[in-house]
Amino acid sequence: MPADPLKPFFAARGWKPAAFQKQTWKAYREGKSGLLHAPTGHGKTLAVWLGPVAEALSKKQLPDSCAVLWLTPLRALAQDTLRALREPLEMLAPTLKVEARTGDTPAALRARLRKKLPFALVTTPESLSLMLTHPDTREKLSALRAVVVDEWHELLGSKRGVQTELCLARLRTWFPDLRLWGLSATLGNLDQAREVLLGPDTAASRNAVTISADLKKSIVIDTIIPHEIDRFPWSGHIGTRLAGQVWQEIDTARTTLIFTNTRSQTEIWFQALAELRPDWRDRLAVHHGSLDRDERERVEAGLRDGSLRCVVCTSSLDLGVDFSPVDQVLQVGSPKGIARLLQRAGRSGHQPGKTSRVLGVPTHAMELVEFAAVRDAALARHLEARLPLQKPLDVLVQHLVTCAIGEPFEPEEMLQEIRSSYSFRDLTAEEWHWCLGFISTGGQALAAYPRYRKAHLENGRYTVTDKGLIQQHRMSIGTISGEHNVSLRFANGHTLGTVEESFISRIRPGGNLVFAGRHLELVRLHLRVATVKPATKNNKGQVAIWGGSKMPLSTELAHAMAARLRGEGKPAPEMTAVEPILEIQRRWSALPDDRTLLVEHARSREGEHLFIYPMAGRLVHEGLGALMAYRLQLPDSVIVTQNDYGFSLTARRGLHLDEPILRRLLTPENLLDDLIACLNTAELARRQFREVARVSGLILQALPGGRNTRGFREVQSSSRLLFEVLERYDPGNLLLQQSQREILEKQLEYGRLKSSLDDIGQRPFHLMEIEHLSPMAFPLWADRLSATMNASDAATRLESKLEELTRAAATESPPRHSSR
Amino acid sequence: MNLEIAGRPITLLPEKAILLEDGTLVVADLHLGKATAFQARGLAIPEGDSAADLQRLAHLAAACGATRILVNGDLFHSPAGLTPAIENLLTNWLEDLPIPVQLVLGNHDSKLPRIPHGLHPTGMVECCGIRIVHDPAEASHEIPSITAHWHPFARITDGKRTALRLPCFLLRHGLNLVLPAFGTFTGGQILAVEEDDRYFVAPAGKIIEVPLDLIR
Repeated sequence: MPADPLKPFFAARGWKPAAFQKQTWKAYREGKSGLLHAPTGHGKTLAVWLGPVAEALSKKQLPDSCAVLWLTPLRALAQDTLRALREPLEMLAPTLKVEARTGDTPAALRARLRKKLPFALVTTPESLSLMLTHPDTREKLSALRAVVVDEWHELLGSKRGVQTELCLARLRTWFPDLRLWGLSATLGNLDQAREVLLGPDTAASRNAVTISADLKKSIVIDTIIPHEIDRFPWSGHIGTRLAGQVWQEIDTARTTLIFTNTRSQTEIWFQALAELRPDWRDRLAVHHGSLDRDERERVEAGLRDGSLRCVVCTSSLDLGVDFSPVDQVLQVGSPKGIARLLQRAGRSGHQPGKTSRVLGVPTHAMELVEFAAVRDAALARHLEARLPLQKPLDVLVQHLVTCAIGEPFEPEEMLQEIRSSYSFRDLTAEEWHWCLGFISTGGQALAAYPRYRKAHLENGRYTVTDKGLIQQHRMSIGTISGEHNVSLRFANGHTLGTVEESFISRIRPGGNLVFAGRHLELVRLHLRVATVKPATKNNKGQVAIWGGSKMPLSTELAHAMAARLRGEGKPAPEMTAVEPILEIQRRWSALPDDRTLLVEHARSREGEHLFIYPMAGRLVHEGLGALMAYRLQLPDSVIVTQNDYGFSLTARRGLHLDEPILRRLLTPENLLDDLIACLNTAELARRQFREVARVSGLILQALPGGRNTRGFREVQSSSRLLFEVLERYDPGNLLLQQSQREILEKQLEYGRLKSSLDDIGQRPFHLMEIEHLSPMAFPLWADRLSATMNASDAATRLESKLEELTRAAATESPPRHSSR
Repeated sequence: MNLEIAGRPITLLPEKAILLEDGTLVVADLHLGKATAFQARGLAIPEGDSAADLQRLAHLAAACGATRILVNGDLFHSPAGLTPAIENLLTNWLEDLPIPVQLVLGNHDSKLPRIPHGLHPTGMVECCGIRIVHDPAEASHEIPSITAHWHPFARITDGKRTALRLPCFLLRHGLNLVLPAFGTFTGGQILAVEEDDRYFVAPAGKIIEVPLDLIR
């Protein structure tokens, strides 16, 4: 039975509330908090939303102040959420208002919301932080009953997630009876996700439930099997070879979404498909995060009204933007993770009871195994966990300033509050004092910060009173650091989107590029604006490439894959198709596995090669390769390549190693020191420091549209320079260490690398001398030609070149005047 | 390294300074008190460079036997950076220095309400047939000029993926020599290469000229 006041709504729709929805309403009525987990498109929103609505309706008088805060991770989702929340109210309680306040909200509405908050406010973590800087927020929210965090899995594991944790801690302190609800998609660590949301030992977490809407939504994962497996490539990631077969599939459905792993791949596949069917061009579109918002909205609208038949996209369409579901979903290339593929599959058959179907499009042979494995794991519900971040101090210091502005705080009370969050549950007294020092006197070296002031103590409470500083802080709240992006536009001002500066600066004016499915010619690049025009000849331009495309295979999927390679699991068409290649691998070497460690050794005219297959994802392999090359201490240079299954070393000589030596080279002992020594982490940390400096308030972000305050230029500095200054004059600064920690985790998945080494130490080694490159060795071998040296190598190389010049200068040949 | 610009001999020093034939040592862009100016805006940057930079300059002057120091602009960063502490530092430094110092005013200096004593501020200096002025836009078209202001950096690559970024002396159009910034807490910019540009860097404590084909 639905709670009575909700009956008319369901009756009018002819709907019946689902069991999980009733369960959620009941839990809410009983004052519980919790996490609701359901696949997209099953009424999660109504389940959480109607609890507070029913509560309001059961009162004699409808509330006239804010009772619900609804946090959404994406501004773009706010409008959709608003629509979904308003719908039932129109019938049940037309006087209850819902509004959204995000960075996109027009100034007039924002001003209105400053005066009076509606019954429910849809907002982002950043906007909630901003609210905390206003002294009257506590009073304005005094009737607050519930906070709902939508798409919590998206926030979890990011600094925005930590920011959310801290804001929730603040609200819990203010209103101890507050009910907190999270909505999450499929995750491997739902219990932990709930604990992070509610705090590890809070009133809310002691009275909490996890509700799982396991609707047994059937998901079918199929794979396009290449017709000629013996001609199918053993490696590569572009692999548009199956474009023809993909067209056959597009023809069978009314609407199709084709997911790829990177934005470049999106553009490449769009080109490949468009070339095969030029007449389809206006029914085919591209969608990715770098596109201009108008462009994206146009594509989304096209999918909704059916004028577009097929959209090639990246994770920009992963999230629950509620456009009508498509008929089928294709995944090009490795699915990388199980949860990720399920989420993408959820874009089709987006209604209860309907089947979600995803069709895998392998780009090389081993991905056939991956698709078979991902199906196994999805059926067994072995999903990836999303791990929360542990005490990022940059987020904490920003939050402390936020709090000090809104309502002066007493340090001991605040410490309690901060420690009630999951991320900072074991914050040490030392770290706490450092943070307080950072926001008030600058740092531990007191003398080094004579003019610094931000927060100061007043009657035992930290407060910020300088109006300029308050304004400055408000404008820089948030944890997303602005990339060095260049906006791409036509001469008439029409904006296409953004590309990374590092990419566009490599193209000369007159050169061509491909963006948003268009062939373009660069006219000029000036002040972060690249002016382009349609390319005259339809020649191939460079495809815009973006960073962050190196997402590794998840541990869970790697395990499932290893099981398939051991021959476990029911017969699968993918395995049948790939069998001839696996057979070659078996004949020439052995199949890799995650219970042993396969090591192949080969000789060639170039020298010696080692191929090692830990099956731990490409970032870990990159770290392992660099580590081994460093520990080998060979006189010649060693080339390292890696992919998701293993890594290889190539050297003139010295790679014929026995098991004891291999084990020594792969020991977890001294891991951190060796990595720091071999990876030039100082340089990497300096780059990571950009984000840390931004979040912690060491750098002022330039504001769009020249709204910068007076004297802004005088306090501009590169994060690199700041890093050097801090290293020299305040080496104990905890933010420096944090940068190093973050970069190790980001670049090499340090935690996973360490546990991989521990695991490898327990596995038997399987050493093979191979005469032919095995199918799994071949891609690693082929990559060695394009292997780029790491930054430190390249810098060393350049330095030695300059040294050569210096020596030449010393022998006093006057410098040649080179002219162009 | 000894260089001749339009017949005038000058010496480029790896310490980001120039020595003229009469013993005048020219440096530029110290930006004293820059970190302090940051602090005044609520940015926790430690102040440590100003004292160290002045000391470095005094040592350099002694080591190369300079007869006077010309600061070619932007000795100071901003009004907020000119604290009593910085001013004290500067006064003591001037007192201890055995040779005179003159300041050619830069755009940052001009924002200060007043210039501290002992610096004999001026807009432009001519010395040994060379014009010394802060802004490269005011370089002479007839005689050699030593300018500053741009904080030039050279981006040196070998066509592969990474590049080295080094502060540099830039000789433009054979007449205008742009100094690198002397101050430690100063950034810099990579300039678009123009025809006839010559770049000089000191990666290992020795000045070398970088062939243009190694510049970005």
